[in-house]
This record gives sequence, structure tokens and C-alpha cells, in this order.
Amino acid sequence: MEIKLNNPYAQEELKAQVALMQVIDPELNVNIVDLGLVYGVDFSTEGQIIVRMTLSTPHCPMGDAIEQGVLNVLRQTFPDRTPSIQLVWEPEWNFNMISEAGKEQLNLL
Amino acid sequence: MADIFVNKAPKELAVIPFYATAAVFFLLLSLLLCFSARELTGHYFNPHILAIVHTAALGWGTMIIFGAAYQLLPVICEQELFSTRLAFLSYLLLTAGSIGLIVCFWIFDTGWAMIVSGSAVVLSSYLYAFNIYKTANDTNRSQIHQNFLLISAFWLCFTTTVGLLLTINLSYNFIPRNHLDILKLHAHAGIAGWFLQLICGVGAKLIPMFLLGKSKRNWLLHTALILQNLGLIAFLADGYFNPMHVRMYFYALLVFLGTLCWLLYIIDAYRHRARKKADTLMRHTLISLVAQGLAFGVIPIMLSNHQTKWTALYGTLIFLGWITGIILGKTFKTLPFIVWNKRYKNLNGTAKIPMPKHLYNENLIQYQYYAYIGTIVLTCLGIVVDHRLTIQTAAILWIVIALVYGYNVFRIVFHQNKSFLKGDEACVI
Repeated sequence: MEIKLNNPYAQEELKAQVALMQVIDPELNVNIVDLGLVYGVDFSTEGQIIVRMTLSTPHCPMGDAIEQGVLNVLRQTFPDRTPSIQLVWEPEWNFNMISEAGKEQLNLL
Repeated sequence: MADIFVNKAPKELAVIPFYATAAVFFLLLSLLLCFSARELTGHYFNPHILAIVHTAALGWGTMIIFGAAYQLLPVICEQELFSTRLAFLSYLLLTAGSIGLIVCFWIFDTGWAMIVSGSAVVLSSYLYAFNIYKTANDTNRSQIHQNFLLISAFWLCFTTTVGLLLTINLSYNFIPRNHLDILKLHAHAGIAGWFLQLICGVGAKLIPMFLLGKSKRNWLLHTALILQNLGLIAFLADGYFNPMHVRMYFYALLVFLGTLCWLLYIIDAYRHRARKKADTLMRHTLISLVAQGLAFGVIPIMLSNHQTKWTALYGTLIFLGWITGIILGKTFKTLPFIVWNKRYKNLNGTAKIPMPKHLYNENLIQYQYYAYIGTIVLTCLGIVVDHRLTIQTAAILWIVIALVYGYNVFRIVFHQNKSFLKGDEACVI
């Protein structure tokens, strides 16, 4: 998840990133930001938050739990906005998208 | 996009009863082994051995595979399970049928009770196959894993149907061939058709997933499926009309080569894995594969040497080595997730919640792993040297393993929600 500081919503995006780090992929036991599953968070539509994200596999049995987690934390953090998820498969998620912290937690280093 | 499958996890009723009941059957299996340790190396057509084999094949192996397949197929097919009710009905029939068959074989009551029990198992297998077919058929995506599951379901129906005919044949002799020859065909349709192809299909999906590995050599899986089926069909056709012959080596070789292709696929995924360190549960799978390889190795000895202990060793490697090994590992890679999904899905992100791996005692898995290696080695050793005390000791150890395994399974099944609100304010829901 890349945050541009010149973006007018950079502060909200940072807040959203911290919130999304509370959402854990139960299968891998690592938060979804460090896993690289979150591609972006859009605050440009008034009263809404659109999370553009993917899953480690389209067959992920934990997909529903992860989506629920995303909605839960965003509702808590931004009570005046309605969160929604745009699930995408392009670009396809791969191991290189995992942050250094995530790799360390997964013993990939 | 968002309308692509996400929420296809099956209902608990279609999965959990299978796991819980299988754990009880595993304990029963180890108790029966203990009671019949001295008979283990004798001829396989023995009431107690038949009861033990059906406990292992139906109550333990098939029971847990039904649950795992009902859990995994929606994931593979990106479709909801066709019917949870049918899944539960297949559970009731399989449980009742297995209990009936085990009791009937143990006391060797070949009357109506055995036939009715066999019919329940047949009906259960048909319901399973229908459910699997309807779930897989609803999707446009055709994957090789799906084909393994569908074809293995066909072989399950074939195996149970032949099994039922054999039970009827015990009371009303109507099969024009030798009962024991048909029994061999029944057993191998189950082993190479049902168990092997199911495990290959599910394994090809799950093992790379757990290793965070990938293989692009899907052709290996296609070749595996073709060779395994060619070998099995040739064996069944030849075996029905002719007595066991040197040609059987060739059919076994075809199945072996098919399984080797599958193994090469797994090795390729292993080589291209991100997760370098395999956990204890994955190491169970490795032991299972070693047992499977050894079982193939015993086939030539069994065909050339008519000592019954080699058949006992073959059966032990298949049921207690290969199938049990993979189940002991994979149970804790699958069952905790469905329970966790039910209990904690909606709390994700809002409270401190346990992860699926916290639902069971991880330390016990370590003990289970080492006890399992020691016990399977001891069992095989006892059979090869035909030493009753060694087999008896191993049988007692199987009871310990079954208790440890069962404790963890029931700990997951009866898990109570525990969560803590953020800020460490304790809250039990």
C-alpha cells in the first residue's frame, strides 16, 4: 500500500493503514498490510472509503473473514464514512509483495 | 472483482461431525488393534482383521475424507456446496453403516445386519458422489484437482458397491468368481481409486498452499490421473477374469508411475516454495509419503512371497502409514479454520481473538508426531519379524496417539469463544 504525502487524503490513508494492520490473515497469521494484500484506499468519494485489495488466492477460504475484518476496522476508525471493498486479481498477488516485516513473521528470510 | 467467489466456506454441519466421529473411530481402531495384535500377521480373511480394515477404511479414512472434501471442494470450485443436508445425511449413513459393518465382521454375522450396514455405506457413498458432482458441475472452471475428486468419488461408489455384493455373496453365493479374488479387486479399487486419487487431488491443492509454493507443471498431474486410472482399470479387468499373474506387476507399475508424477509435481512446488521451514504438521505429510513409497515397494514382495505377514505389512503401510499420516497432519490444517470462521469471523479486527492455530494444543502435536514415527516403525518391525509383543506394544502406543489426537480434535470442536476488546478490557462472548 503506497501513500503519497502530497495526496489531499494522505492523513486519512495513513490512519486507514494503521487500522488495516489490525486485520490478520488467519491462515498466515500476518496482518494484511504487511502481506501486501491492500493495494490502495480511496477517500475521494464523500462519505465513503473504497479499499482496493486482493487475496493470496482466489480460493482463499478465509477471504470472507478478511473482508469482514477490513470493514470492521474501517467502520470503527471512520464512523462517518461507509467502507466498501473492491476485490481485484490484477496485479496478481505474489510473495514479493510481502513487506520485510511480513517476511520475517513468516520465516521467509 | 468483488463478485468473484469469497464466501464459500461450507456450513459446520457438513464438516465437523465427520472429523469428530473419525477421531472416535481412530480410537476404536487402535483398541481393536490392541485386542487382535496376535492375529495381525495372519491371513487377511479373518473376522477381526476384516473389522479392523473396515474401521480404518470407512470409520477413519473415509469419514475424515468426506468432511475434508466437503470443506475443500467449495474452495476449489469457487461454488457453495450443493447440499449441506445431503452431506449430513451421508454422515449419518456412513456412521451407522460403518458401526454395523465393524460389529458384523468382528462377530462374523454374515446375515441381514451386514447387508443392511453395507447398503447404508453404499448409499452414503452415492450421496457423497452426487453432492460432489453437483458442486463441481455448477462451475465453469475445470481444474485437475476437481477431476481427481470426481473420479475418486466414482471409485468410491464402485468399491462400496462391490463390497456390498461381496457381503451378499457371503450369505447367498452368487458371484461366479472366487470370493477372495474379488475381495482383492474391491480392496484395490478402494486403495488406488478412492484413497490414492482423492489424496493426490487434495494434496496437489493443499500441500503447495501450505508451503506457499507453486508449480506450473500441471501436466504432471494430468499424467498422474491417466496412469493411475489406466493401471487400476487394467488390474480390475484382468483380475476379474484371470488369477493373479506377473502382469499385475505391470499394472502396479503404471499406478506407481502415476503417483511418481504427482510426487514430482509436489517436489516442484516444494522447490518453489516461499516458506522454507516445514512445520510439524507438514512433516507428518512427509512421513505419510515415505509410507506410501514403502507400500509400493512391498507389492513385489507380496506378489512373489505368499507369507501373510507381507500382506499385513502392506495394509499397515497403507492405512496406518500413508492414510493415517496424512490425516494426522492435515486435520489441524483444516478443522481449526472452519471452527474459527464460525466463531471469530465477525470479530476480526475489532477484538483480540485467537488465531486458528490457538484452538488446539501445539505442543501435543510435537509429541503426536514423534510418537507416530516411533509407533509406525515399531508396528512394521513387529510384523516383519512376526513378534507378538512388539505388535502389542505398538498397538498400545496407537491408543496413546489416538487419545492425543482426539483430545486436540475435541478441543477444537468444543472451543468456546474467547476474545478481548481492544484496550485489554476482558470480554468473553
